[in-house]
Amino acid sequence: MYGWIWRHLPGNAWLKALISLVLVMAVVYVLFNYVFPWAEPLLPFNDVTVDNQ
Amino acid sequence: MRVVVRTVSELCVTVGTVIVLFVVYVLFWTGVRADTVMDDQIDQLQEQWAQSAMRPSPGASGASRASGAPQASGAPQAPATPPGPAPYTADKPFAIMYIPRLGFTWNKPVLEGTATGTLKKGLGHYANTARLGQKGNFSVAGHRRTYGDPFKDFPRLRRGDAVVLTDGTSWFTYRIDKGPYKTVPSDIEVIDPVPRKSGYTGEGRYLTLTTCDPEWGHSHRLIVWAHLDSTQPVEAGKPKALRR
Repeated sequence: MYGWIWRHLPGNAWLKALISLVLVMAVVYVLFNYVFPWAEPLLPFNDVTVDNQ
Repeated sequence: MRVVVRTVSELCVTVGTVIVLFVVYVLFWTGVRADTVMDDQIDQLQEQWAQSAMRPSPGASGASRASGAPQASGAPQAPATPPGPAPYTADKPFAIMYIPRLGFTWNKPVLEGTATGTLKKGLGHYANTARLGQKGNFSVAGHRRTYGDPFKDFPRLRRGDAVVLTDGTSWFTYRIDKGPYKTVPSDIEVIDPVPRKSGYTGEGRYLTLTTCDPEWGHSHRLIVWAHLDSTQPVEAGKPKALRR
């Protein structure tokens, strides 16, 4: 999978490394801003009330 | 075959990394976010209070001008005194809470409502309970863990501890009478006007704090009850409980 991505990136090794870094950062950004905020309320840490609102 | 094994192992490593990132998010990032947001809420409140503290003087001069030239201005006739305090707006802060036992610098905004999104920004006031300082039971919920860990040290609260709140015009000092009391999540009677099991027998000005127990779980709730001990206007300075 990662080998396939690496082969399909353009440019030489340095450019590929740079693009990979940007891709990784983009993925982390999406995870922290959209995926994790969605997933976090599914865990029990939010249940602090007694009337379950 | 080799390709399949490689892909599966790569996926496993990816899932592992995502889980680690998620733990970092829950343990660390929600706290960083919440601290910023809570500070914003407190700033917003203090700005609001500073503005309303300034308002009386222009309001008074406006009133005298209006009496001098009654129908001169086209502005709608605003009542000189507001008709009682405004109702709390859902998801908006209206008070700041201080609990010296949880740390001398511990202060958190109190917002109206206990929705998930509201509790990310501060403590949440149960919408159907009494107003701050009024007869009944002013009930507030807060996170034990994540989102800044506001009630992390909840079990350290003891009888006699002060819970101080301000709404910009007054300081309200509540004293804890009982707690932490452990109960189940469906026990809504703990936020009744005269909470069951609290030991209070008659009506009064009470405060209830709720959070989850165990620290990272949701099987139980921890409850603390307090009664209003004293009030003083903000002009009189900080209450004794907050002075070092």
